[in-house]
Amino acid sequence: QDATATEQLESVDPAEAADVADPEAVSAGSDAYTPMAPTEGKGMPVAGGIDIQPQYSETGEYAYGLHIWLFWVMVVISLFVLALLLYVVFRFRKSANPVPSKTSHNTTIEIIWTVVPALILLAIAVPSITLISKQYKTPPADAITIKAIGYQWYWGYAYPDNGDFEIVSNMLTEEEADARGEPHQLAVDNRMVVPAGVPIRLQVTAADVIHSFAVPSLWFKMDAVPGRLNERIFQVDEPGVYYGQCSELCGARHGYMPIAVEALPMDQYNAWVLAQGGTVAGADEAGVEADPSLPPLQGPESSAPGAPGAGAPPVETPAA
Amino acid sequence: MAGNVNHEYHILEPDIWPLIGSISALTFTSGMVLFMHEMASAHLVLGLGIAGLIATFFAWFSNIVKEAERGDHTPIVQLHMRYGMILFIASEVMFFVGWFWSWFDFALFPSEISEVVGGQFPPAAIEYVINPFSLPLLNTLILLCSGTTVTWAHHALINGDRDGLKKGLWLTVILGAVFTAIQAYEYGVAPFEFGGNTYSSAFYMATGFHGFHVLVGTIFLIVCLVRAYKGHFTPRQHFGFEAAAWYWHFVDVVWLFLFAVVYVWGGWGAEFH
Amino acid sequence: MATTADNFQAHTDDHAHDADHKPGFFARWFMSTNHKDIGTLYLIFAIFAGIIGGAISGIMRMELAEPGIQYLQWWAEFMGGNADFDTSLHMWNVFITAHGLIMVFFMVMPAMIGGFGNWFVPLMIGAPDMAFPRMNNISFWLTVAGFCSLLFSLFVPGGTGPGAGVGWTVYAPLSTTGSTGPAVDFAIFSLHLAGAGSILGATNFITTIFNMRAPGMTLHKMPLFVWSVLVTAFLLLLALPVLAAAITMLLTDRNFGTTFFDPAGGGDPILYQHLFWFFGHPEVYIMILPGFGMISQIVATFSRKPVFGYLGMAYAMVAIGVVGFVVWAHHMYTVGLDVNTKMYFTAATMVIAVPTGVKIFSWIATMWGGSIEFKSPMVWALGFIFLFTVGGVTGVYLANGGVDDVVHDTYFVVAHFHYVLSMGAVFSMFAGFYYWFPKMSGRWHSELLSHIHFWLFFIGVNVIFFPQHFLGLQGMPRRYPDYAEAYTFWNEISSLGYHIMALSMVFFFINIIYAFVAGKKAEDNYWGEGATTLEWSLSSPPPFHQFSELPVIEEHHDHHDHIGTAKPA
Ligand code: HEA
Ligand code: HEA
Ligand code: CUA
Ligand SMILES: [Cu+2]
Repeated sequence: QDATATEQLESVDPAEAADVADPEAVSAGSDAYTPMAPTEGKGMPVAGGIDIQPQYSETGEYAYGLHIWLFWVMVVISLFVLALLLYVVFRFRKSANPVPSKTSHNTTIEIIWTVVPALILLAIAVPSITLISKQYKTPPADAITIKAIGYQWYWGYAYPDNGDFEIVSNMLTEEEADARGEPHQLAVDNRMVVPAGVPIRLQVTAADVIHSFAVPSLWFKMDAVPGRLNERIFQVDEPGVYYGQCSELCGARHGYMPIAVEALPMDQYNAWVLAQGGTVAGADEAGVEADPSLPPLQGPESSAPGAPGAGAPPVETPAA
Repeated sequence: MAGNVNHEYHILEPDIWPLIGSISALTFTSGMVLFMHEMASAHLVLGLGIAGLIATFFAWFSNIVKEAERGDHTPIVQLHMRYGMILFIASEVMFFVGWFWSWFDFALFPSEISEVVGGQFPPAAIEYVINPFSLPLLNTLILLCSGTTVTWAHHALINGDRDGLKKGLWLTVILGAVFTAIQAYEYGVAPFEFGGNTYSSAFYMATGFHGFHVLVGTIFLIVCLVRAYKGHFTPRQHFGFEAAAWYWHFVDVVWLFLFAVVYVWGGWGAEFH
Repeated sequence: MATTADNFQAHTDDHAHDADHKPGFFARWFMSTNHKDIGTLYLIFAIFAGIIGGAISGIMRMELAEPGIQYLQWWAEFMGGNADFDTSLHMWNVFITAHGLIMVFFMVMPAMIGGFGNWFVPLMIGAPDMAFPRMNNISFWLTVAGFCSLLFSLFVPGGTGPGAGVGWTVYAPLSTTGSTGPAVDFAIFSLHLAGAGSILGATNFITTIFNMRAPGMTLHKMPLFVWSVLVTAFLLLLALPVLAAAITMLLTDRNFGTTFFDPAGGGDPILYQHLFWFFGHPEVYIMILPGFGMISQIVATFSRKPVFGYLGMAYAMVAIGVVGFVVWAHHMYTVGLDVNTKMYFTAATMVIAVPTGVKIFSWIATMWGGSIEFKSPMVWALGFIFLFTVGGVTGVYLANGGVDDVVHDTYFVVAHFHYVLSMGAVFSMFAGFYYWFPKMSGRWHSELLSHIHFWLFFIGVNVIFFPQHFLGLQGMPRRYPDYAEAYTFWNEISSLGYHIMALSMVFFFINIIYAFVAGKKAEDNYWGEGATTLEWSLSSPPPFHQFSELPVIEEHHDHHDHIGTAKPA
């Protein structure tokens, strides 16, 4: 963990961290974390919505601008073609134009309709390429690494920089979701908790077949491919709950392995980590460590076999 | 046909073999599925399918030969066949592109995660590879040689030397058979098994499909040999022979790539058996 | 058409009686070596497959009409599963897989290439038949065999239930280690069989087009439909074998212990996607190029003008075909491509908009100055041009690798490809169908019913698929049998649209029945002077063997500008 002692981590009050990291306090402190209530319309689809969800990441905001530009290109081109069609249909209908012309060439116009689309495409390509390079910015060396692992059919989230614990995230049944005031099909028992406002190195992989880790309101989608570790910078602007869904066909319950990202301020994140039995760099230095033998405190609530939307817990927690 | 026909295309009578061939193909693939899943009557279905396919090929090509001997294959029809054969070979080339693609993927980007590969190519699990400069090199020479013998046969045919035609064909067929025998022997003693890792998967599938094409090509040449004995082919009209020769050259070229890419480059740095 | 807008002398005495001598029923339909009969078989088969594929999409829209799982359990029981929760969900994957494969391989391709291609390529180039009439027949029957294999797959165990639930893309490892049971093997062999048929068909078309054009018909005088089939055939010839290799690797991975796509043995699941899309992207143009060709014929006919920019139109299709081979990874933007690869595929993909734009604008320019008649083929063609443009521009949206990250594998993609397929390809098929139906059958359909069919279908499919853009942008993933409540509204609308579309198809079928029962006899050239290609010089239906005496296309200096009239001898 030493390599990951970031400024943010140091900003955690060591005393507080040490406090929470006390094995005794951990079990008590676990009650201190209650899942954040989602905000209506933030990080989730809205009823009857027709546009991309509001964005809560820097690249997402840039991409949203490009999306709007592309939207207008699409609208204008479609309407332009429609207008031409309607004009032609009206103006050159048989009754209005009984004798057809014989024109079948016009070099000028042919050059125009080749060059102008090419220019429009150029005007799309420039911001588009810029967006890609932003998305591929390498995360800073000291960024916290979080690993999302796709299983049939649930997600596992590992925190290698925080003591390498893994939590298992299963979809909640409708009743459970209602009880927690969360949307059906999107709510999960254990969320992927991340610190807000700092770059994260998100690694995505899968244990069985291909899944895809996707969060629309963060403009993020990356396939979880068995045998590959896909890595991308991941940053959430502000605290909140952001829902997503598995986005690669992975078998029967492909539609039943949602993703819920909960972004917390760094100190709360650290507290959460310690409550999971994980470690925080600052605490480490202070000589306090969570008891590694403690199991993750949040057991998968709906992982009982047969429960709708339930998977089995991972056979083992992959090391490193 | 109508009284005034001013074209020389080949208008065919209805024929049952396309239907039988398709049913046989479906029977064959279904038999394969049953076989692979060890299900009931797999061998029966598979056997029927294969028999049907063989019968179709036999009847179909017999018909073509009959039509050729009858004089239905006017110059334009022969031209069709040239086009057809070239296009068919082009599609075969693309089929092999698929196998080479996987080979290059595995060789250039060996998996770091898989223990049997261990980030190297040939993979960690492959202790020894076949020495490309022993039997494979011999096989390369055999195929190159067979390329010249088939050309010899062709020139003999063009010059009306039927004896040379037969000799050249005999030699080509024998060389093809020797190649197949050596290949079979080599599979038998190869220092790695089929499957289990990328190297032996891609190796056996690529060379195996090539081997299958050699077999088909050899049968094609045998048919030509039989036809040569029957007195078919004239110095001016012998597309059946030419098609076999083209196919043979194609198989030859694929082998050259296999030899260079799979045997020599692909095994580079590994120990020989 | 510019190309055949020439005087040609078709001194055919095809009306001589023995030219029309037909074999008996079995020989005629099961042993056929006649391009028109084989074309008819393909069309009947495609309509049959279209009904099944369309019915499956009806089941899908029913299930998606509201959140929750409504009908899947019933279907799972019907198909012989034990109908627990997972089996029910598995049925969804089986349905979308069957729907996608049937529509692509057994509806659009057989109709366009096998059906219209077989019927009209020889007629338009003035040839008596295809180059390889017997091989033509096995192409058809192999397609049927492939369809049967796909049907078998529905009734045997797949993964978590009966049938292959792997998507039409058959991605590994879901299709290998993820789905034991013979269903996926049957589905894979289905593609082998249909693919073999298509490769043989492609060699047949290329040979026919290169070698059997009537005297005087140079490549640059060839009707654009023939050009479109030529380019399509090349795409088939070069793309399908790569798919064959890829799915063969699936088979051996599944059954014989190879590890092409198995990470444990060092294999790479992404390799499968590269191989699949190297085929798959050309495949989408295979499904639209013949449609482009038909639209060109139709727009010219009903504008009574030669096609504008004939050469540009022909070479635009060639360009689309060539560039189509180097853009495949735009389907794989989220698999973890490296940054340069992603930028390359973004740029390359967008390039295709240029030649496609040339086509759109040239069609409009063809109509410009024309004397347009709104017969049923023409209204379908007009619908095509607009709706294909809508589908095309959303394609350009998706081409942007960074943007695609948010919409990939959502309903936005589903909306995109149904605009180009269920509207582009299908509209062009209906346009071609109404254009040539009297020529093929000798009888008139009802123009009124065709127009009703058009308007209802037009409204229906737009109501189905336009809201799917909204769903996709809001984030609804594809291949989901159930969804969050927020997505309810637009799904309801979409399913509602299905009813309108289904109603329209009733008019289509009534129309066919009407034509055979009470349709007027069609003249030789029933569209009049705008229709100038060679098929209009023949009777409707054409004689069993046409062009026993080849027509001669005369050279004109200004052939592109000259409107000729077909002069049947
Ligand atoms: C007939 C079939 C067809 C056609 C013609 C197209 C045409 C195009 N398609 Fe589409 N596509 C599919 C069928 C088709 N597609 C299918 C089936 C899938 C999904 C597969 C799956 O995952 O299951 C898919 C998916 C798909 C993706 C992957 C999306 C994803 O999974 O995330 C992308 C991305 O680039 C894409 C792009 C394009 C582009 C750029 C075109 C271009 O060719 C469009 C060009 C046309 C125009 C642009 C309109 C006319 C032009 C003008 C009026 C000129 C002016 C225009 C501009 C300057 C922009 N398509
Ligand atoms: C040509 C291709 C084609 C066509 C026409 C259609 C037509 C339709 N499709 Fe489909 N669809 C696909 C190709 C096609 N689709 C593919 C490839 C997928 C992806 C599968 C996957 O994810 O793996 C898909 C997926 C797909 C989905 C997403 C499923 C999911 O992701 O979970 C949905 C959902 O609504 C849908 C609906 C429909 C509907 C309502 C129609 C309706 O428009 C249907 C109406 C019926 C017709 C238009 C056919 C009529 C034609 C004839 C009867 C033949 C006529 C013949 C002649 C004139 C000769 N389709
Ligand atoms: Cu996991 Cu889809
Ligand atoms: Cu594509």
